[in-house]
Amino acid sequence: MASSVSSQHDQILVEVNSSARILTLNRPKQLNALSLQMICRMLELFIAYEEDPNVKLVILKGKGRAFCTGGDVAAVVHDIRTGGWRAGANHFMKGYTLNYLMATYSKPQVSILNGIVMGGGNGASMHGRFRVATENALFAMPETAVGLFPDVGASYFFSRLPGFFGEYLGLTGARLGGAEMLACGLATHFVPSAKLSMLEAALYAVDSSDPEIISSIIDQYSEQPSLKEQSVYNRLDVIDRCFSQKTVEEILSALEREAVNGRDRWISATIQTLKKSSPTSLKISLRSIRVGRLQGVGPCLVREYRMVCHVLRGEFSKDFLEGYRAILVDKDKNPKWEPSKLELVTDTTVDRYFAKVIGEDWDDLKLPVRSKFNLPPYVIAKL
Amino acid sequence: MDRAFQRTRILTNHLLLPPPAQTACLTSNDCLNYSPPELSEKYAFDVNEMRRLMDGHDVEERDRLFGLIIQSKLFNPRVRGGKVFVSPDYNQSMEQQREMTWKRIEYLLERGVFRGWMTGEGEEMEMKRFACFEVLGIFDHSISIKLGVHFFLWGGAIQFFGTKHHHDKWLRDTENYMIKGCFSMTELGHGSNVRGIETVTTYDSNTGEFIINTPCESAQKYWIGGAAKHATHTIVFSQLNINGTNEGVHALIAQIRDADGNVCPNIRIADCGHKIGLNGVDNGRIWFDNVRVPRENLLNSVADVSPDGKYLSSIKDPDQRFAAFLSPLTAGRVNIAVNAVYQSKVGLSITVRYALTRRAFALKANEPEVLLLDYPSHQRRLLPLLAKIYAMSFGANYLKMLYVKRTPQSNKTIHVVSSSFKATFTWSNMQILQECREACGGQGLKTENRVGHLKAEHDVQSTFEGDNNILMQQVSKALFAEYMAAQKRNKVFKGLGLEHMNKPCPVIPSQLTSTTLRSSQFQMDALCLRERELLNRFVADVSQCQARGESKEHAFNTNYQLAEDLGKAFSDQAIFQTFVDAEATLAAGSLKDVLGMVRSLYALTCLEDVTYLRYGYLSVDNAAAVRREITKLCSELRPHALALVSSFGIPDAFLSPIAFNWIDANSWTSVQH
Repeated sequence: MASSVSSQHDQILVEVNSSARILTLNRPKQLNALSLQMICRMLELFIAYEEDPNVKLVILKGKGRAFCTGGDVAAVVHDIRTGGWRAGANHFMKGYTLNYLMATYSKPQVSILNGIVMGGGNGASMHGRFRVATENALFAMPETAVGLFPDVGASYFFSRLPGFFGEYLGLTGARLGGAEMLACGLATHFVPSAKLSMLEAALYAVDSSDPEIISSIIDQYSEQPSLKEQSVYNRLDVIDRCFSQKTVEEILSALEREAVNGRDRWISATIQTLKKSSPTSLKISLRSIRVGRLQGVGPCLVREYRMVCHVLRGEFSKDFLEGYRAILVDKDKNPKWEPSKLELVTDTTVDRYFAKVIGEDWDDLKLPVRSKFNLPPYVIAKL
Repeated sequence: MDRAFQRTRILTNHLLLPPPAQTACLTSNDCLNYSPPELSEKYAFDVNEMRRLMDGHDVEERDRLFGLIIQSKLFNPRVRGGKVFVSPDYNQSMEQQREMTWKRIEYLLERGVFRGWMTGEGEEMEMKRFACFEVLGIFDHSISIKLGVHFFLWGGAIQFFGTKHHHDKWLRDTENYMIKGCFSMTELGHGSNVRGIETVTTYDSNTGEFIINTPCESAQKYWIGGAAKHATHTIVFSQLNINGTNEGVHALIAQIRDADGNVCPNIRIADCGHKIGLNGVDNGRIWFDNVRVPRENLLNSVADVSPDGKYLSSIKDPDQRFAAFLSPLTAGRVNIAVNAVYQSKVGLSITVRYALTRRAFALKANEPEVLLLDYPSHQRRLLPLLAKIYAMSFGANYLKMLYVKRTPQSNKTIHVVSSSFKATFTWSNMQILQECREACGGQGLKTENRVGHLKAEHDVQSTFEGDNNILMQQVSKALFAEYMAAQKRNKVFKGLGLEHMNKPCPVIPSQLTSTTLRSSQFQMDALCLRERELLNRFVADVSQCQARGESKEHAFNTNYQLAEDLGKAFSDQAIFQTFVDAEATLAAGSLKDVLGMVRSLYALTCLEDVTYLRYGYLSVDNAAAVRREITKLCSELRPHALALVSSFGIPDAFLSPIAFNWIDANSWTSVQH
């Protein structure tokens, strides 16, 4: 009864299987990095499915070894170079709108995270109701290493992780496996990849949008993986002590104090990572997560859109282009950040990233009105 | 579709699917739906800008602290209706609540929240400290009081009464909680009348020590916050008896527990027991049995005793000496006043949000039921209270500024304003919380919904740091003294906002129109008129009693009704002034327009007070016009209700389930989870 309504060359493959719609990100060579075309297509599909009473459930997965590695940075940089920063901002505007739609979606979205999920890939999955991780899942939000900041609504979902784990993930770009994702709540279920086809078959048979029912089906294939002893999630007490500090500088000194107390490779590696990241990125990321903690998902995305516009515009710092050069083009992994030190990034500079962009006919992100659907409670907070 | 496929599907479903949950039929039935108020209500002004105006300072610091609380399991996060709420578990035993309060303090200490609170100085630090207390008070009264005793009372006493060697010895250790301080002033037999306390301290020049004694049961120290469990040190207030002369009340430091928490020799401590609220604070009772402390432990900024036992004081007048000893209580009083305003904000945020989502009765059959806040009567109950809290927020900001910018010259003003605002804000807090409790119906009775429970937690505010009635009498006495001083010296009134007395008496128009009623000039005139007339009358009546040969004190006591009305008139006028001043800082725009309506509603609510009719400041017709205008203002402010409470800036997690999806929070699924 399954039918495919797309050709092999489409960047999003669409499958119809009774009440379920299966969307597969299909750019395996680019590890399913989201092109503007893919984002627009998903927007179309999600809007149509919400109206369509025959659709009860949307499944999202990736072709190949990645679920999705995020936005297509090369395309963004290309657009900035040819059409100015506003052209680049358009990618983000569309992407964040999709994130918002997913976050407030009236039907369950099940994302199958059987591979790498980074940056914008998290935006496409974390806002949905169910995130199923497998042993192949590999999570990261490494934006601070390329002069960006964790966006796509990360200031919402990071700030709602236990303790100050979100600050840790957002500032260091630390990687997590499937078991860790489940432990901290980024994943709702852990299903071994061997059972995925059975899980999918069971989901196709569902004729309900009731999250309780869907959850119980996924439960049947789920396992409770054990955390490795050296997992970062077992260091939550140290992370809480250090990453709850008020400023990036204080976080660093707290880590350095911990390092004195005991030789620990993890702590020195964490310190090194922070020292290599863009100072501007670190400061705006920390502020963003802290502010996001007290905001709803909509205001988080509106604020992140302001921030990303400032980043792309490069008025205060051009770290984004420098990070792109050093990590993705020249691959010398030696970006020259400017400002180069944390103390050179003042509170006033950080404030500017949170203010409206002045002039150039710029406007805040306009989120679609979602009042038409009587939103179920879980859209307010999923984590 | 063929029959075979359909049958296969049914069979597959039987095998694979769990039986439909019991709730399925409930959730698919659209009998009552929760719709978030944000979907139907629009913000006509920038709520962030309004919040900055209302909070007045340190918004980022507040939000950081809110975040620290939300992220820790110690603050008892609970999920209801898909949202996280933090609030202490008041179902815990008194012992457990005290333990949790202490653990939370340790958590905040570790994160540097108290850094600079004792060792730093300056207006900025003091304002930041106030902001932190406001945030912590929104979470729980106990933690705020437990910290307030340690920092404001114990720490404040050392700062204000101590001299350099006390500061060097104690302030850093206090900030780091190396020691835990408490403040032993109140006794079983003496509360507000501190000068009557019975604890006695003598000096032994042979050993260079003071000896503290509790001479009788009524002299036991009572209600001492922190004493029952945790405190290691205390400030002791006692009558200092030097060579047979009673030099009056003085303060010194005594250790009451050792580092292991064992009670020191010659000290007896008992628990005050379970209370109607504030059970996270370990209030205790202390007896001193010939407790010896070194001479240096006398806090000697006001008076000292020489090693050979001579009493020395730079302030000769015992009245002034005593007044100097009460100054730390002012900081506490400011704190209590401001805290009361924030409690009302919590109550009103919850209640208004509930009133925007809860419906009752349809006007016609088959029509949707009406939202509570669309009933004029419900608007009339809540919106004037909302206006009052706006006014009191500005009053609170003014009071804090007055305090942090204190000079020896402003001491009297601070004392009068803090007394008047503390009494007014805490009384109105109890009134507001009661109205909120009732406006939430049965839901207001659940502890998890906060409004009802907050009443019990904050009832004490009208008693501690000065009984409200006594504070208000002091306000009237201070105004009386101002009047007499101006009259005697034939000078103009200057200070305490009495300058309007120098101008001709304002005249109330015989027919009040809507435009007049909403003009801030008229509102100010009406409030000044009442204060002026009541002060004249109070002075006349007291003087008359004195002319009959009664003492001034007796005359004050017999004219208590006028004194109460005068104190209230002073407060209302002073609060209104701060509102007008805050409004004047704003540029024209939607925010200022809405605030103007709120100001009018506050002023007219004051004019509705019975004193205006009792003393004939308003005609019966004009009083009716005031009442009509209030109703109109309520309906005009109704569309702004959500924006007005959102501007309080209290994060969702600090409100309660009925402020959000209360249907889901109470669903059967939530029972099972």
